[in-house]
Amino acid sequence: MTDPRDIVSGVGMLSEGTHFVGEPPAGIRRVPTGVDGLSTEHLVINMGPQHPSTHGVLRLLIEVDGEEVVAVEVTLGYLHRGIEKLAEHRRYDQLGTLMDRGDYVSGMHGEQAVALAVERLMEIEIPRKAAWIRTMVAELTRIASHLVWFGTFGLDTGAMGQFLYAMRDREAAVEILEAISGARMMFNYIRPGGVVDDLPAGIDQKILAFCDGFETYLDEHHALLGGNEIFQGRVRGIGVIDRDTALAFALTGPNLRASGLGFDLRRDRPYDAYPELEFDIPVGTTGDSWDRYMVRMEEMRQANRMVRQCIEGMPDGDFKAKVPRVLRPPEGEIYAATESSRGETGVHIVSDGSDTPYRFHYRSGSLHAMQALEEILPGHLLADVVMIVGSTDVMLGEVDR
Amino acid sequence: MRPDPTAISSLLSSAGVDAEVEGTTLGTVFRVALVDALAALIVLREGGHDFRMLADMLGTDTGDGIEITYHLRSFSRDEEVYVKTSLAYDGELPSVWTAFPSALMPEREIAELLGLTLAGHPNPRRLFTTDGIDPLLRKRVPIRTLEEVRDR
Repeated sequence: MTDPRDIVSGVGMLSEGTHFVGEPPAGIRRVPTGVDGLSTEHLVINMGPQHPSTHGVLRLLIEVDGEEVVAVEVTLGYLHRGIEKLAEHRRYDQLGTLMDRGDYVSGMHGEQAVALAVERLMEIEIPRKAAWIRTMVAELTRIASHLVWFGTFGLDTGAMGQFLYAMRDREAAVEILEAISGARMMFNYIRPGGVVDDLPAGIDQKILAFCDGFETYLDEHHALLGGNEIFQGRVRGIGVIDRDTALAFALTGPNLRASGLGFDLRRDRPYDAYPELEFDIPVGTTGDSWDRYMVRMEEMRQANRMVRQCIEGMPDGDFKAKVPRVLRPPEGEIYAATESSRGETGVHIVSDGSDTPYRFHYRSGSLHAMQALEEILPGHLLADVVMIVGSTDVMLGEVDR
Repeated sequence: MRPDPTAISSLLSSAGVDAEVEGTTLGTVFRVALVDALAALIVLREGGHDFRMLADMLGTDTGDGIEITYHLRSFSRDEEVYVKTSLAYDGELPSVWTAFPSALMPEREIAELLGLTLAGHPNPRRLFTTDGIDPLLRKRVPIRTLEEVRDR
């Protein structure tokens, strides 16, 4: 077993001589001093927070030796809204709105996590139809979210064409979600006890038409970007996160599965309608950027498959359980997690029996991916930094919370 | 999912850690003293139960002090345990990053938002907020300041 201390070498600390840190700890890479005094000087480059390829407001301080990255430190907090504190002043049915604004590209998964936590604490049994609707909208959101990643990841590697095609398909998925929930991104659709409203009449045909189209579009997307030799040259074998590193930094979701560990909450901690659906879990081998690309592309195909199964097997019945108007879970503590597009989106609630949570903790997959970045980026070329950050699909709204 | 509490207890006591077992709605929770927290996490990782991932970490202001919860996951045995420890408001939280590097950023977050200091952390600076901001997750810190309430 690898000792995690061997994995962490620099821990994101910049080396001596830069004014960003005080005293660097032992073991950190230092500026080499040449025998003749003609050594290359290290340069610290600031990237962000307003850099177009940082997917939000991420600031990276990159120390380079020529073109090679020596150390990276991420600076966070530009999107810190204090969701955990705000949640302590919201009723349980209002928490979903905060989770929407955490990971704002795949809001349904956060809402689902809150709903599951409250239901488990209050021992609410939700109707079968509610579980199926939730599963369907969650998978549709996964497609919409992965398409954003697909489009922008191509941009990070220098490709352009796939972005507009990805946005075309995302638009179709988001329009369906809008017809169901009334909003394009801040859904507030999944609530403790079920969902807000039944599916609108005639939406099944629209969704099935989307699924039919998306199956062939996905092949086209993959051929357009994945079949491109330049793209393959940029991503294959670069940004490797091996299994030990992934475990040490608690990566989850597609990033963990690309490293070869097939852990998926939908199968291993089943919730809602997933036990009744058929789906495969793609797992990578080496954990390089190409594997992360392939895992996400296959996840979209499986999500499409699940959406179709949900529509075809949608049970009859109520779309919500009978729950009290003001939710007052009993005193206790609960952790519930969903498999979001970016990993494990978990909600840890400490309840004191009142109508607001005593402590609300939001566990996000992106924060842990962000820590791993500080470890894996050193040793790569500066031009690959943007690509590797893109391949881990970090969402800054979820990092800062 | 829930491990056998007696097996884990004997594992912990083999490392000289006294743990109090609680079966709550959360799962199997082991309450240890602050000085034993790192030793407990190491024996859970290295012992036969193979808890390789620190999936989550959070701090709670309980009213008497800060309670730290470590959430560990074992893939080979498909088990999850929670380890809890408490410290005083002005306490010093020993870092567990040597056992679990995934604690690096959550520890910084806990330290700044609950007003603790970190011991043994390689980069014990603030993560999200700027210097001078109150520890937001403490119960005594209001969600709005008096000026903000007046200006509403």
